Amino acid sequence: MTENSDEQGGSSLNLDRFNEMLLESTAVGLAILDPESLTIVFHNKRLGEWFSDVEDRSTVVTDLFPDIDIERLRDRMDKGRPYTTETKVRVGRREVSIALVVTMPADEDVQHLIVECQNVSKLKELEYMIESYSKMVEKQNRTLQREKDRAEKLLLNIMPRKVYEEIESFGVATPQRFDSASVLMLDFVDFTEMTISQDPVGLISELNEIFSAFDFIVERHSCERIKTVGDAYVAVSGVPEAVMDHAQNIARVALLFVRYLKRRNSQHKEQWRCRIGINTGSLIGSMVGIQKYVYDIFGPGVNLAARMEALSPPMQVTLCEDMYELIRSDFHFTDRGEAEVKGFGTKRIYSLDEAEDSATIELPPMPGHD
Amino acid sequence: MAGTMFERYGGFASVSKIVMALYDKLLDSDVTGPYFEDVDMRRLIDHQTKFVSQIMGGPASYTNEQLEQLHEHLDITDGAFAEVMMLFEETLEDFEFGSDDIQFIIRDLESRKPWIVSQDA
Repeated sequence: MTENSDEQGGSSLNLDRFNEMLLESTAVGLAILDPESLTIVFHNKRLGEWFSDVEDRSTVVTDLFPDIDIERLRDRMDKGRPYTTETKVRVGRREVSIALVVTMPADEDVQHLIVECQNVSKLKELEYMIESYSKMVEKQNRTLQREKDRAEKLLLNIMPRKVYEEIESFGVATPQRFDSASVLMLDFVDFTEMTISQDPVGLISELNEIFSAFDFIVERHSCERIKTVGDAYVAVSGVPEAVMDHAQNIARVALLFVRYLKRRNSQHKEQWRCRIGINTGSLIGSMVGIQKYVYDIFGPGVNLAARMEALSPPMQVTLCEDMYELIRSDFHFTDRGEAEVKGFGTKRIYSLDEAEDSATIELPPMPGHD
Repeated sequence: MAGTMFERYGGFASVSKIVMALYDKLLDSDVTGPYFEDVDMRRLIDHQTKFVSQIMGGPASYTNEQLEQLHEHLDITDGAFAEVMMLFEETLEDFEFGSDDIQFIIRDLESRKPWIVSQDA
């Protein structure tokens, strides 16, 4: 710069004057310190605007920056590294944040320390704002997540998780065929008459309690409740995820439903008597509807379960030969002979009595029950 | 035009610049300056940025009751409020806001005057 300036020596701008103007007009506060006493031996105009004390010739840098760690400052200077700190000063109405850097010039002839101060108030305001907005965004994210969880919980009530995940990823769920699954269908004997002759509100409340207990049993036996329609309850095993023991699971669940109702009936005035049909076979699982959608199951396997339910005596579990062959070694049955099953021809019908290992099938403790 | 005014003018990054410039003017003014002595400017600028963003259709939400709570102990006069409006308009103009948008913001702020200016001032 010096050389360049010399070349321009003929210009009207005197170099010393130029340097002086630069020093006074810069937005950086500058000072030179005595390295021993740390007294300020020179400062520019900007520094004077921020620190009025600096006019006093005996001002030490620690008068301006009380937080300076002298020991660390000297250590950093010895290592030839800069020392930094910050302070706040009041300038008129404003509180100004000042960042300070102390360096030792590389030139060994100069035995002074150089102080550079910058007004970092805007930076501080921005840092504060970034932190504040991060918190706001985090808070909004938490609210969104809570809403998402709530929506997910609601949707999981009407469709299996696997189907929900498919819809979430692809926007749609394709109908799927399950070759190996079991279905349970239940409804209550004389339910319509019960609702008319009794207190309907109280009755529905009891139905709700019973279905909640069924849900509890179903969940614990790798089954899934598909839907309830009025007093009918439909559960499945092997949909939408394959389960090896789907037939045994559904049979156990059916027995537990009966056992639960028997126990309940022994303790309550209202007597709930169910019919249960179970069946094994292939079926289709699919979402139905666009705005008001529901996950449902279809196919002959489902229809046959419905026929079995219709053929079932009260408080019994009815199945036919197809499923019987699969689980005959695991449970006890009563052979009820052959019967004409609408749409399926003649089938041998059985009642499911108790599991061989019935002692191991226990009603789980129900929430809200003893 | 697509999006809210908040989006069109560049979101929080732009609004924060406007608010910082506004507070420079407010501090320099002898009418409004004294209100900001001994105030944590970082917090104030943060709140004001969110508030102006809200007016422009951005996120964050302040109710008029909150505004009242924040201003009630400050004894803000009609004159001080008018000065802020004037400087706000000037700042928005500095940042090349369209005159319709400036009017929209100023009208919104004017409508909140009862919750900001002290009743007994």
